[in-house]
Amino acid sequence: MSSPNPSTTAAELTAAIRRADPALSRFDPLNRIIYHADFGRGHCGFTATIGNYEGSLDTILADMNFLSPQLSAYQMWDTGTGGSIHGAYSLKLATRPVRGSVSAATKRLSIRSQGLVRLETYFGIKSEATEMVLTENDVRAFGVLFDIQDDSRRLLPRLRYLNAQDGESIGQWQIKTHHPQRHDIGATGKTASIGHYAPVGYTAVPGGAQQLCHNELPTKMNWHYLSVTFDLATMRFVQFRCNDRVYEQDIPAPFELAPWPNLRGLLNTIFFVETDVDKRAFLYLDSVLFSSAE
Amino acid sequence: MIKESYLAVVARNEDMQAGWATEPCECAWASEALFFVRVLAAPEVALPASVRVQISPDGIHWVDEGTELDVPAHEAVVFTRLSHFGGWLRLAANMKEGGTRRVVCYLSLKG
Repeated sequence: MSSPNPSTTAAELTAAIRRADPALSRFDPLNRIIYHADFGRGHCGFTATIGNYEGSLDTILADMNFLSPQLSAYQMWDTGTGGSIHGAYSLKLATRPVRGSVSAATKRLSIRSQGLVRLETYFGIKSEATEMVLTENDVRAFGVLFDIQDDSRRLLPRLRYLNAQDGESIGQWQIKTHHPQRHDIGATGKTASIGHYAPVGYTAVPGGAQQLCHNELPTKMNWHYLSVTFDLATMRFVQFRCNDRVYEQDIPAPFELAPWPNLRGLLNTIFFVETDVDKRAFLYLDSVLFSSAE
Repeated sequence: MIKESYLAVVARNEDMQAGWATEPCECAWASEALFFVRVLAAPEVALPASVRVQISPDGIHWVDEGTELDVPAHEAVVFTRLSHFGGWLRLAANMKEGGTRRVVCYLSLKG
């Protein structure tokens, strides 16, 4: 009888322990969990991200003046508190009630090792329930991105779900493939800002059409699963999954920039949401798990 | 368990004026709150200004909580303490037409 492979046993044991934990069982992390943000425990280090400034707040790009994310109890005017999947609170990103407004929140890390990383979340999208009709086309888009820099390049690889535009339902996954505009900020020459939240420069993922459940009322929200796997060695998306759909073929390459000063090793994980109408759009995150293959 | 605390920026570099209010902030998890209003610069026209605290059951329909806070016409930080505010908080401006204040507003929550 042959002895068990020690590494296989360790992997199996790790998987079994994770499967036995209700908080982890619904995720499929890679080998090492870098963080697990369950917003029932608090904000877990997610914070507002804003455009760069120098000397005055007036120098922030107008469309990057994002406000803080909030712990949400999902309190609706008709049905009361909705809570989250396992508890009372989720993290909410809220746009302003202005068409095209964006909200973003980030957690800032550094690259431990080059290789695969995976960002997973259970999320929901809804607009502010100010009308007594299902408004499934209010949220223009939401998505996730990494902000990365290695020795030779900076990237902002971004996966976006274009939910609707101009009142028309779309439901298409996209990758940002074109360089956003760079703006010099201030007078020292040290500061710049990239308008990378603008709704331009995207390429559709082939076969990436997907409809999400919007339910039947503006206050009824369902939670969805999203997993995004990125390779920090090749700087390409390897796979992403939303609910029962897996995408891993012909994912477009994200745009690249020349390296910036002071950013080597940057690895930020960022979520964002956009509104298509003069109404607040919300992205709710029940929990987020970030893992690496290291 | 250590308490959760959170500083939410609810307005950044905005001009308070008649009809202005901060973006709604959810706070059901917190048991105490402070609103800070920081005036960034003296306005050109120094009309009186104040803000009133508002609460809401749903983040859509608002009612005055009863607390008001004068907002000076020079660089300054003013604050007010709150409790028993339910799930939502915001500030609304009491200003006459033509008045303005350039402000950063914070909601400091703990619970």
